[in-house]
Amino acid sequence: MTEYLIRRIIQSVLVLFLISILSFALIHAAPGGPTQIFLSPNLSAEAGKIQAHNLGLDRPVPVQYFIWLGNLLQGDLGYTFKNHIPVGKILWPTVGNTMVLMGAAWLFSLIIAIPWGIYNSTRQYGISDQTSNIIAYLGFAMPTFWFGIILQQYFALKLGWLPLSDMYTMGKQGNMLDLLYHLILPVTVLTLGFLAAYSKYSRASMIDVLDQDYIRTARAKGLKERRVVFRHALRNALIPIITVLGLDLAVLVGGAALTESVFNWPGMGRLFVQMAVAREYSVLMSITLLVSVFVILGNLLADILYAIVDPRVQLGRSGGASS
Amino acid sequence: MRKTNWLSGITAVALVGALLAGCSGKKDNEPSASPTTSAPAATASASASAPAAGTPVDGGTLTISTFSDIVSINPIYVSDTASGDIQNLAFANLYDYDRNANVTVEPWSLAAELPKVSEDGKTYTVKLKSTAKWSDGQPVTADDLIYFINTVKNPDAGSPGISSFDKVDKVNKIDDQTVDIVLNQVYAPFLNVLVTGIVPQHVLKDVPLKDLQKNAYGIDPAKTVTNGPWKWTEWKQGQYITLEADPNYWGEKKPHIAKIIYKQYADQNTEVQAIIKGDTQMTEAIPVTQIDAVKKHENLNVILAPGPQYEYLNFNFKDENFPDKYSPFKGQKTRQAIAYALNRQGMVDKVLKGTGRLMNSPFLPGSWADPGDEAVNYNFDPEKAKQLLAEDGWKAGSDGILAKDGHKFSFELQYNAGNSRREQVAQVIQQNLKDVGIEVKPKAIDFSTWIDQNVTPGKFPALLLSWSLNNPDPDAESIFSSKYFPPNGQNGGWYKNEKLDALWVKGQQTVDKDERAAVYKEIGKEISIDLPYVFMYQYGLPQVVDGTTLHWAEEDKPESSLAYGYLFHVINWWSDKK
Repeated sequence: MTEYLIRRIIQSVLVLFLISILSFALIHAAPGGPTQIFLSPNLSAEAGKIQAHNLGLDRPVPVQYFIWLGNLLQGDLGYTFKNHIPVGKILWPTVGNTMVLMGAAWLFSLIIAIPWGIYNSTRQYGISDQTSNIIAYLGFAMPTFWFGIILQQYFALKLGWLPLSDMYTMGKQGNMLDLLYHLILPVTVLTLGFLAAYSKYSRASMIDVLDQDYIRTARAKGLKERRVVFRHALRNALIPIITVLGLDLAVLVGGAALTESVFNWPGMGRLFVQMAVAREYSVLMSITLLVSVFVILGNLLADILYAIVDPRVQLGRSGGASS
Repeated sequence: MRKTNWLSGITAVALVGALLAGCSGKKDNEPSASPTTSAPAATASASASAPAAGTPVDGGTLTISTFSDIVSINPIYVSDTASGDIQNLAFANLYDYDRNANVTVEPWSLAAELPKVSEDGKTYTVKLKSTAKWSDGQPVTADDLIYFINTVKNPDAGSPGISSFDKVDKVNKIDDQTVDIVLNQVYAPFLNVLVTGIVPQHVLKDVPLKDLQKNAYGIDPAKTVTNGPWKWTEWKQGQYITLEADPNYWGEKKPHIAKIIYKQYADQNTEVQAIIKGDTQMTEAIPVTQIDAVKKHENLNVILAPGPQYEYLNFNFKDENFPDKYSPFKGQKTRQAIAYALNRQGMVDKVLKGTGRLMNSPFLPGSWADPGDEAVNYNFDPEKAKQLLAEDGWKAGSDGILAKDGHKFSFELQYNAGNSRREQVAQVIQQNLKDVGIEVKPKAIDFSTWIDQNVTPGKFPALLLSWSLNNPDPDAESIFSSKYFPPNGQNGGWYKNEKLDALWVKGQQTVDKDERAAVYKEIGKEISIDLPYVFMYQYGLPQVVDGTTLHWAEEDKPESSLAYGYLFHVINWWSDKK
């Protein structure tokens, strides 16, 4: 297990390194660099060159990359070009805000989706199952930002029950109740999206497992259905769900740029959009890497959970599920 | 000033500003500047003024929405609208504009009187009020003004204001309140350049110029010493900015509003939702398409009048910019034909909902430089257009499209993606020109990419864009003179007219206003005949205010024709919101 972990971590570092090179190159290849954004044509070409030099933007991209990497390894995420604000000062608060929003939506949808999926697997094509189907189709088909706007129109503007946007009412920063109040609409929107996927996965996975011979054996032994489902089937049915959850961990951090924008949620997805427009390379790189770290962590975590849930999986041995 | 439209339509700030013109491409919001004399009231909506509910109340809160964050409010570096908004609240200006865009001294201006200009027109003597103070208690002195000018004109500092101040030869201190600014040439637009904020020399003097832009001054509220009615108290990046009335503000007239919140939204549509909900009390500009939705709410007033910006169709004269290495726009009659073929009034009525005014020269209608009837007005006349095209040698090909010397009259018309106004206008242009045998291929491009790859280097066949006039002076040499081909200036269409080149210089060097006006009349006449652009229309940005909570006296109402005019005389406004 330890050996396996070490190997995976080394692999992960390599992957991150490659991702950083690729994204650095891509971001710098986008037309209209930061100097174009803040150098207006009323700034002479000469003054522009001085600016670019002061910021190190006149150096070749590979050189810029290694300077950036060197700083990163020392824990320095860099500064914004336009006004020299440390990236961390802008980035970290948004990470927290995104985690609050996405975490709430994720938990909420898991709490609903998994039991509901299991219930539906035992009563296929019943009313509950059909309802879940409809919700799943809606969730998949409806753009979340559009659904968000509809909810805003109705619950915030027409009825006036809920706040339109933002994380807190001005002046109530840090107030838990106010936060919960502001979470209702965006969490509803995001939950619908998650719910669709998770309830279908758990239903399908459960049906799959309930069809297996050992379940038939269990039933033949005369066990109660309840015991069959929860004691024998559930654990196995959870395995594919864990995979999906692991892969979605990055979503938790990366956020949903559109949903955050519609609800003016000060999260990382919204920040990424703003910073992409402004061509703030350092912020974009930091976000990209942070999300990459979570993708890798999510995968690793899913593999480890596998081993815990499914005794057949032995990490690090040949034939293990992780290979 | 680019507010980009790719993901959600957030554009940055209109960056492209020139000496006196900023080209802006954002959605419907453009950076500001200040326009000219007469206040265009003709098309102002009936509800142009919120009810003045009794007498001013001190202590309210004003919440303004925005879709872009500030960069820095250090007056040396401000070049975008958001930063300019906050600068205007936190800093006093040396001089201010009155409603008719005349440079004036207000109780809140730093100067004590209008500058005295020497007989040769080269020396401006500026006298400061002795009462003005910085928020740290230090007096505002001649040294601050001298430091400001010398810093802006030094390329090491990288200030976007350099082109305004590079005509300054030297700045001499006469006494603690008096400064002589000596120009190296007569430069009539200079008075408008003095409508500016300045910085505290005692705070910044030891900062090396190369590090000035990275300095916390202008970025960290705690370290930004200001001299205006409100103090900058908080900046949550990407979320909001707060300002509070400075208890030690030096002015005789104190602000009524105690707290200003400048709140950022993802785009203009979310701004509209927020003001409808009552989360904000004022938004500087909404898309024209949202006006009707907003007007349904009785508490909201839409203030809409033509502002300091105009839209233009830019021809490119450089052959390399066309696939067949041939610019079809070289014939004067051809350009005139295009102007006749366009139904500009129709665009104003349908697309701008009647809030624009036709233009035939680069000078705003009603301003002192406006040539009025002396400029050629191109009314909608497709028959005349066809005739002119024929006279210029264009003949219809087998496909109905005109051709000359084997070159088909077909060109790409570029504009920025996500700007609904330009999108609609481009379609009208396409249809209008199709009717006279010219094929137009409209192409929408992401704003910052477009500015970088096409507009600034002058690599486009034809484009649709607008200028925001940064100050009310009519000088526009850097847009139209052949001295200013890219990369030196903004004549991206590579237009050359020697007569105009000379006239622009003459306009800068003539001090007497009446004589200057005559020069600009001549320019207006010549340029309306020769048409480097088709000047389309002056247009306005619809401002929305909550009239039930935000109040002002009639003489302090917002002035759409001025840059930053949506906050005109905000020091005299009051709010019922706590």
